[in-house]
Amino acid sequence: MGSVRAEFLKLKRSLSWAVVVLLPLMAVVTGAANTVISGEPLEGDWHTLWMRVVVLYGLFPLAVGVAALASLVWRVEHQGGNWNALMGRRVSTPHVVVGKVAVLAALTAAMQAVLVVGVVVVGKVVFALPGVLPPRYLLVSVVIVLACVPVAALQSGLSMLMRSFAAPVAVALLGASTGVLLLVARFEVLTVLVPYGLVSRATQLGTGTFMDGGSVTAGAVAVFGVLALGLAVVVTAGSVAVLDRRDIR
Amino acid sequence: MNVRAVANEFAKMRRLRVVPVVVVMVVGVVAYSCVVLTTPGFFESVGDPSGQAWELLLGGLSLAVPLVSPILLAVLASRQVDIEHQGNGWLFSQTAGLSPGHLCRAKFAATGTVVVAATLAQSGLVVAVGGLVGITGAFPTGQWLGYTASAVVVNLVLFAFHLVLSTRATNQLVGLGVGVLGVFVTLTSMGMPAWLAHLFPPWGYYVLATPVEAREVGIVSLDPSHLGVIALGVAGGVLFVLITRLFDRREA
Repeated sequence: MGSVRAEFLKLKRSLSWAVVVLLPLMAVVTGAANTVISGEPLEGDWHTLWMRVVVLYGLFPLAVGVAALASLVWRVEHQGGNWNALMGRRVSTPHVVVGKVAVLAALTAAMQAVLVVGVVVVGKVVFALPGVLPPRYLLVSVVIVLACVPVAALQSGLSMLMRSFAAPVAVALLGASTGVLLLVARFEVLTVLVPYGLVSRATQLGTGTFMDGGSVTAGAVAVFGVLALGLAVVVTAGSVAVLDRRDIR
Repeated sequence: MNVRAVANEFAKMRRLRVVPVVVVMVVGVVAYSCVVLTTPGFFESVGDPSGQAWELLLGGLSLAVPLVSPILLAVLASRQVDIEHQGNGWLFSQTAGLSPGHLCRAKFAATGTVVVAATLAQSGLVVAVGGLVGITGAFPTGQWLGYTASAVVVNLVLFAFHLVLSTRATNQLVGLGVGVLGVFVTLTSMGMPAWLAHLFPPWGYYVLATPVEAREVGIVSLDPSHLGVIALGVAGGVLFVLITRLFDRREA
């Protein structure tokens, strides 16, 4: 827990809040603006609004946002003599790596919360939709956050290895593009085994787009959850092994 | 701007992994362009001399460029400038007789060449894909060249903008954040009337350059605003020179 608290302290003066707040809000504003400009009504009420906002957001902006957050989390370690201080630390390597992934998971959850609030506000204020956002989208939101954890772990590992802030973001864009192509080509198994593909697929849950059937079943939620946690454990273990073999520079 | 400064920037690029970033950009654009190959009926129209397969592929290219380029141009600009921030290169260059403004212009000349080459390569590779799948219809030479030229101009203006932004904002998150914002602005611009898209430079100009559009009746040719793109190029060039000259007046 101490490692997680330390990581949050390091982020205190960064601009991580800008990614957490602005990225999902931009997705909401884009979805709403496209609906208003096109003049096409929200025939399926909340479902259509959710689909217009979340599907595009999940294709690559979400992965890029997580990558930017991972770069921010590791940026401090690459500055000045901090890398050597990290190499001479008193806490174990798993504590450091898991602490960073945990912080990224918390920030991703905050991003998803902002997105959900944004969709609800736009749905009510701009489109005057009846009722509230169906609870199944809250369940989908949990799945999206879980699916983001392997990407967060992978991007954390890349940002650990690369001193550049921007290079891991470029890798994230490449990964997300690969995920999209796998989706389009309908390679379902391969898609969910690639972390970026898993995020894109999770954001489509319940929307009926690409390979999705349009329903949110307990089985699908469980499969996504298990896959996400399994991938996250494998990638985090890999990062720990790599960091253990790093030295001062 | 002297030739040695530009050559020096090319030398710096060797260790900045510019080539992989550019390869990602080219591959990304070609891959997203090829998504249209999965459109129902595409392969049926390939062998039809009066078919619209080339137009469909051009539509894919004009959708892929604005989706992929803004973020990777931001990454390219950030990579070029971040080394100067980290290694105090602005001050070192100034003491060597190369002011920050000159350095920025040298970076633009060097990396801009790479951006132009990448944009031409994207366009050429999509044509090659069309050839490989055996499209037999008439190749829309004018539309394709017009779009490629427009994409080069908009990409260069966007790259210059990110170069200036990354120079001013030490935290590279700002440049990358604006890059992501650009993608959303482009996506919103796609539904806007042309007069409104003019108000969102430079991203809105990707949409103004779009030569074809998929509608319910099929692919229809549009009237791209080449004049608007030229105006953007001129205005962007003038602003870049003015702003980089201002960099010369501040303390390194």
